[in-house]
Amino acid sequence: MPRRPGRNVAAVASRAGRCLRAIGREPPSRGHQPTREEPVIESQVAVRLAGVTRRFNDTIAVEDLDLEIPGGSVVGVVGPSGSGKTTTIRMITGSLAPTAGKVQVLGDDPRSFHGRTRERIGYMPQLFSLYPDLTVAENVDFAAAVYGLVFFRRWRRRRAVLELVDLWSVRRRRAGKLSGGMKRRLELAAALVHEPDLLILDEPTAGIDPILRRTVWDEIHRLRDAGVTSIVTTQYVTEAEECNEVALISGGRLIAFGPPEQLRRDALGGDVVEVTMSGLYDATGLARPDGVRGIRQTGPKTFELVVDDAGTATAEAVQSMSASGGEVESVREIRPTFEDVFAHLVERDRASRAADPDDAAYEAEEGDRPRDPDAPPEPYTPRAASGRDEVE
Amino acid sequence: MALVKLVIRILALVGKEITEVLRRPGAVLSLVLGPFLILAVFGLGYQGFKKDLTAIVILQPSSPFPQDAQSYKDLGVRGITVVQVTADRASAEAQLRSDQVDVVIIPPADPIADIKAGHQAELTVVTNVADPVAVNYTGFMADTLASTVNREIYKLGAKEGENYAITIGGEDLSNVPPDVIASPTKATLVNLNPTPPTIVGFYGPAALALVLQHMAVTLIALSIVRERSGGSLDRFRASPMRANEVVIGKVLAFGILGGGIAALSVWLLVSFLGVPLLGAPGVLALVIGMLLVASLGLGLLISVVSDSERQAVQLSLLTLLASMFFSGFVLRIEEFQPAVQAGAYLLPVTHGITLMQEIMLGGSIVHGWQLLALGVIAAVLLAVSWALLYREMRPE
Repeated sequence: MPRRPGRNVAAVASRAGRCLRAIGREPPSRGHQPTREEPVIESQVAVRLAGVTRRFNDTIAVEDLDLEIPGGSVVGVVGPSGSGKTTTIRMITGSLAPTAGKVQVLGDDPRSFHGRTRERIGYMPQLFSLYPDLTVAENVDFAAAVYGLVFFRRWRRRRAVLELVDLWSVRRRRAGKLSGGMKRRLELAAALVHEPDLLILDEPTAGIDPILRRTVWDEIHRLRDAGVTSIVTTQYVTEAEECNEVALISGGRLIAFGPPEQLRRDALGGDVVEVTMSGLYDATGLARPDGVRGIRQTGPKTFELVVDDAGTATAEAVQSMSASGGEVESVREIRPTFEDVFAHLVERDRASRAADPDDAAYEAEEGDRPRDPDAPPEPYTPRAASGRDEVE
Repeated sequence: MALVKLVIRILALVGKEITEVLRRPGAVLSLVLGPFLILAVFGLGYQGFKKDLTAIVILQPSSPFPQDAQSYKDLGVRGITVVQVTADRASAEAQLRSDQVDVVIIPPADPIADIKAGHQAELTVVTNVADPVAVNYTGFMADTLASTVNREIYKLGAKEGENYAITIGGEDLSNVPPDVIASPTKATLVNLNPTPPTIVGFYGPAALALVLQHMAVTLIALSIVRERSGGSLDRFRASPMRANEVVIGKVLAFGILGGGIAALSVWLLVSFLGVPLLGAPGVLALVIGMLLVASLGLGLLISVVSDSERQAVQLSLLTLLASMFFSGFVLRIEEFQPAVQAGAYLLPVTHGITLMQEIMLGGSIVHGWQLLALGVIAAVLLAVSWALLYREMRPE
């Protein structure tokens, strides 16, 4: 999977500006100070959740969630099954009201969305919710009409989105006769048909083949470039790399949020570099050079370095090892899969919660070991060597 | 622009609902042809008269009554056919219990002696049924039997008196036949209704009203429940679709469908079953339209209080059952307690049956207040359903 560059602040601001223009709002000029009449949420933020909690009777589905989703970005919401992803999404769409806290979407409160705000949102639910007795084209046409598209635009958009999801050739087939993957694509087409500014996709790539998955993500990126904000939940954590920002939710709490690369570094405590020596080498006694945060012996001749930045710290570390009499045979940066990264982050959060005596909501699972939350990150332990995404 | 979008959404819902229903040919066929076929079978199969009750007469050999069954047949008692005359009461009652005969008749042993003694001679009719309607019918037949016997006694007396000068108030009635003396008056029925009453003619409009209500209630109730269970309501929450648009769209869609089916059914009733349509078709259309809207309101109410398709179907069937009992379809509303009558008038079909029968069979609406009642029921049900759906479509 190609590596996507991290997002810088200027790029975000630029995209946010494009997004605002696309939705008919001008971005604030420099030096603009919000007045009392303006919404609390800055216009660059498409979605904000502030201290949001949602309970179902005694069960806490989402707890004290703070999240800001910049306009014009693709934000992935990932987490284990039952972690609160769909509850979060449903609070954003206005299906669920938060028990506590505040949600704002495109500057509006989802509990009382204005009609115009609703028209700017595209929503693809997790389960198939279209009409099996209608044809593919009729379903998309109905979805377009729900958003008030007049006939000619409906006709044009219907064809565009069906071609996009590769369903144009089966447009006369009843939706109930489609395969699971085709149904997901039809759902996606229905969510896209009215050209929304904010796209909320609950597992859009579930059950579709890798080639079409690629198409879906390309379309999401194309929409992002056009200023559309996308919130995407996914069961394929490797798809996190497709996102500008990733929100990792576990146990109803946001345990990590940021660009994928940053999460990878947060999980591992920095970049991980594997060093292979030409002979036996004991790295445990090696003095840590600047930029090296941890050393872990992984074999008689191999060990891993956790460094602040693989680009700058590696050379210094090699120099230090050579100075101590070792001969470095090879050095390579290890890029663990996001599956490993997220598993590591979730496990770390669980351990942290188990160690927190004030965290009454958390019930330690068997095997959880209390751990000091302020302790430095544990060394990275790949779950499956074959799953490593290695870069020389 | 907002109005245009509202219209687009409503029309989209109307188109979607009609398309979905038409995509199920079996459902359409049963909706259109079902009521017609049921009425046709009913009209052709119902004989319109009750089978004579079979009877055994218990007589002792010393009884003055005829000892053979044929004599009783010759007597011409309406509704009762004597199949056997016997002195063995136990055997007769055994046949009654085993359902071989319908009644056992025990005439008085010596009626003349009873009359001379100054009291009525008692004619006992024994039956063995659990059906209250059948018991009433048997009682009615027993009274008819008693009247016939009385008439025969009068005739006998009159015949015996023919040799005497019978005068009443100085008038000579010796030439008056015994039949007239025994039955001096007879009733002649004159019906002001423009058409002669027939079973199919009377029940046709009533059955159509019942079917239209049931169809409207079921279609819309299931439609909303399916929207909910299929996740569409959740999708609507995140879209500009509002509760009032859902209500208007659904009512319009099923109103159009129901109207089409009603028009076809009326045509079939009139053309093939000979049910008269004496009133203005426009007035009939108005009544059917209001009945449909009120029924759709009822169905909407059922849909918003049902949490599953099964519950919606059960409530629809309960509504049908209540309608069968209390709407006047089978039993007259006046025969119920006032409180039950009030409940019956809450059902749209109660008014629909009366109004449709009045228009089709009588030519005009007699009970105009029922048209108003239908409108009020429709308005209240739609308002309540809308409020509940509005609440449901708000964030949970």
